[in-house]
Amino acid sequence: MIRLIINRIFATILVLIGVSFVVFAALHFSPGDVARTILGLGATEERVQALRQELGLDRPLLIQYWDWMMALLRGDLGRSISLGVPVSEVIFDKIWASLLLMGASFFLTVSFGLLFAALSGGYHRSLMDRLITLLMLLLASLPPFWLGIVLLIIFGLKLRIFPISGVGAMADDATLYVVAMHLILPAVTTAASSLAVVARVTRSAFIDEMGEPYVQSARARGLSQRRIISIETMRNVLPSFVTIAGLQIGFLFSSALFSEIVFNWPGIGLQLYLGIVQRDFPVVQGCVLAIAIVFVVGNLLADILSIALDPRRRG
Amino acid sequence: MIKFNKENFHKVKNGFLSGFLAIALASLTITSPALAEKNTITIGIEADLARLDPHISTTWNTFKALLHMYEGFVAEDLLAENVETPPIVPSLAESWEISADKKTYTFKLREGVSFHDGEPWNAQAAKFNLDRMTNPDFEFHQPGSVGLLSWVWGDLESYKVVNDFTFEIKLKQPNAEFLRRLSAGGSGTPRMISPAAVRKYGNDGINTNPVGTGPFKFGEREVGVQTVLVKNSGYWDEKRVPKFERLILRGIPEVTTRELGLLTGELDMISTPSPDSLEYLEAQGMTMVKGPVSTIYPIWLNFREGPLKDVRVRRAMAMAIDREGMTKYLRRGTATPAYGILNYGGPGWDPEYRDFPYDPEGAKKLLAEAGYPDGFETRLDWTMGGGGDVNTRADAEWLQRDLGRIGIRAKIELFDNGTYWDMLAKGTREGTCCMQVSWGETGFFWLDLILPTTAQPPNGFNSGYYENPKMNELLASARATSSEAEMVKILHEIRDIVTDDVAFIPLYTPIQVYAMRPEVKGFVLAPQHWADYTSVYKE
Repeated sequence: MIRLIINRIFATILVLIGVSFVVFAALHFSPGDVARTILGLGATEERVQALRQELGLDRPLLIQYWDWMMALLRGDLGRSISLGVPVSEVIFDKIWASLLLMGASFFLTVSFGLLFAALSGGYHRSLMDRLITLLMLLLASLPPFWLGIVLLIIFGLKLRIFPISGVGAMADDATLYVVAMHLILPAVTTAASSLAVVARVTRSAFIDEMGEPYVQSARARGLSQRRIISIETMRNVLPSFVTIAGLQIGFLFSSALFSEIVFNWPGIGLQLYLGIVQRDFPVVQGCVLAIAIVFVVGNLLADILSIALDPRRRG
Repeated sequence: MIKFNKENFHKVKNGFLSGFLAIALASLTITSPALAEKNTITIGIEADLARLDPHISTTWNTFKALLHMYEGFVAEDLLAENVETPPIVPSLAESWEISADKKTYTFKLREGVSFHDGEPWNAQAAKFNLDRMTNPDFEFHQPGSVGLLSWVWGDLESYKVVNDFTFEIKLKQPNAEFLRRLSAGGSGTPRMISPAAVRKYGNDGINTNPVGTGPFKFGEREVGVQTVLVKNSGYWDEKRVPKFERLILRGIPEVTTRELGLLTGELDMISTPSPDSLEYLEAQGMTMVKGPVSTIYPIWLNFREGPLKDVRVRRAMAMAIDREGMTKYLRRGTATPAYGILNYGGPGWDPEYRDFPYDPEGAKKLLAEAGYPDGFETRLDWTMGGGGDVNTRADAEWLQRDLGRIGIRAKIELFDNGTYWDMLAKGTREGTCCMQVSWGETGFFWLDLILPTTAQPPNGFNSGYYENPKMNELLASARATSSEAEMVKILHEIRDIVTDDVAFIPLYTPIQVYAMRPEVKGFVLAPQHWADYTSVYKE
């Protein structure tokens, strides 16, 4: 098992190096010119060329990448063009805000995903199963930017239960409660479609397990349906549940991008969006890299967990 | 039954007292947040601010904050009501003299003004700032400002400290717009930073520690969330002393979120609500303030694109477009048709001027005359819009329909705003007839970037390769005139030639909209891309 995990870690590092190159190259080849962005509209072509030279943008791509990578290893992500401050400073807080949002939505995804799966898969073809399946179908098909705005109109504007935007951390009366109130709607919006996917996949795992002989024998021994679902089959459902839940991390990121914009949640997604709009290449690079790292590391953890949970894969 | 004796009386009295005290305390805790709220104005704007160093600032949104923290020699009076162009008023200079040859400006500086950090404002501070903007050998030179501020300092010859409160600027040639350019803002603005602050925080540190002389001081900022400005109680201009303590600017790109924030009271004011929401917001009791802004949406025509080489084709395209219908039905009153390249609010703008009639039948004939009776195929390269734009895609669809009616079949391709500006800087690509961005200022310096042959890509934004050398001469002579009347005369000549050549098709002047809660009063909407928030208060 240890060897398998070490292999995974090596693979992860290789993936990260690949990702860093792709991020670097993609921005290098995308339309637009850093030097012109910095100098503004009135700059002459000579001045743009001079700045390109000064910034080293005229050197071969691989050499630029090497320098960028070396700086990256020192923790230097460059300087934001639009803000004039180091990128690491800009995105540090954003990462925490995003992790908070991701954590909350991941929690919703796994807890409600498993709950709904157990309730529908465990009682296959019951009315509850049908209702939950319908609800999951609905959640899976709602785009987050639409769902977010509808939730805002219902709970923010009509019912006035939750605030409209921001994280509330800078408010004078910032408490855990204030932040939590700001967090609920964006977290639900972000989690919705992933939750549905987790519930549906795990539901079929439950249905498969319910047909196994050991479940019949458990029933014959007089165990209650509740006990069979929550204890007997759960253990065998867990590996596939953990795998599908781990895969959701990536999807959560893309939904978080939308809910961060709709709810003005000051996370890495919103910063990425601002960076793209303002042509702030170093910020875009930093944000994409941060997202890639969390994504890859999240998948690594899910992998390790599912290896640990599944005796067949422990080797 | 309660016996009323001395002991009981004391109990009752104490009870009353403590009860009264409790009520008083409760009411205090109730009123104080309300009071704090009354003293805070939170404004939802279209995007978060960029860097806060005025000499290299970039976006129009950023200037909404900068104009409250920094000042220059002169300013545009954004509180003046019912004007087409904000008048130029003294700011850190009390008065000025212009020499007979219009080349030397002597500024008498205001005495007794200090920067937010206590540093005094004087001629030395002015020199420090000019050095920072224009002198490459200066210790604290800001290299980025040379390009960004070339429209201000392009004609600069020299400058010097005459005495503590007199400062002199010499130009190479007269510039009829020099004071306008000194007072303007936007991307890069010649406003004064505390020299002590530059020394303390370093050149880059000013981006996060802005220190000026304006009516608001920098409070705190959380990037991507909000920027808090605090009232400068020692501000010199009584007229602009803020009526509230804290100004909070929150960048909220999603327009629906801005509108919902206003409706729930999280925001006191928002800029640029969606045209589709105006009626709803008004019905909910919000106050709407609308007014034109010194901007124009012109279409760049590509002179290198086959059919468009013929002026008759360009004229036919212009005649095919129903500008009035567009502003009425598509923009729903948030725009008025624009005629001629000179923009509303800029020098020489004439409300009576008309360029091309709306005449699709005539356009068809003209097109046939030019040899295209069945029209041709082409493409519209369009942007999804920048800061203040809402749904410019619909504009392209409107054009597609109007051009289609005379047989010109156009595809639409959409790009994000950043990419779009890069494309414009590179020049209109092959196969594309038209591009469009919003532009226009209270001065005419932006025409220098789009009309002369010297501004063809990559050296400017004459992106349709409009080739008329006369433009170069006329623009230079308009700048070098010594009176406004003379300048306007030349600008009208420029406008008429551009119309005759059909180099651009002006579409409309946008009406900018601020929506605010009913208790918010005193806001004055200037015909500018930004507004002065000092006069706002809550009832």
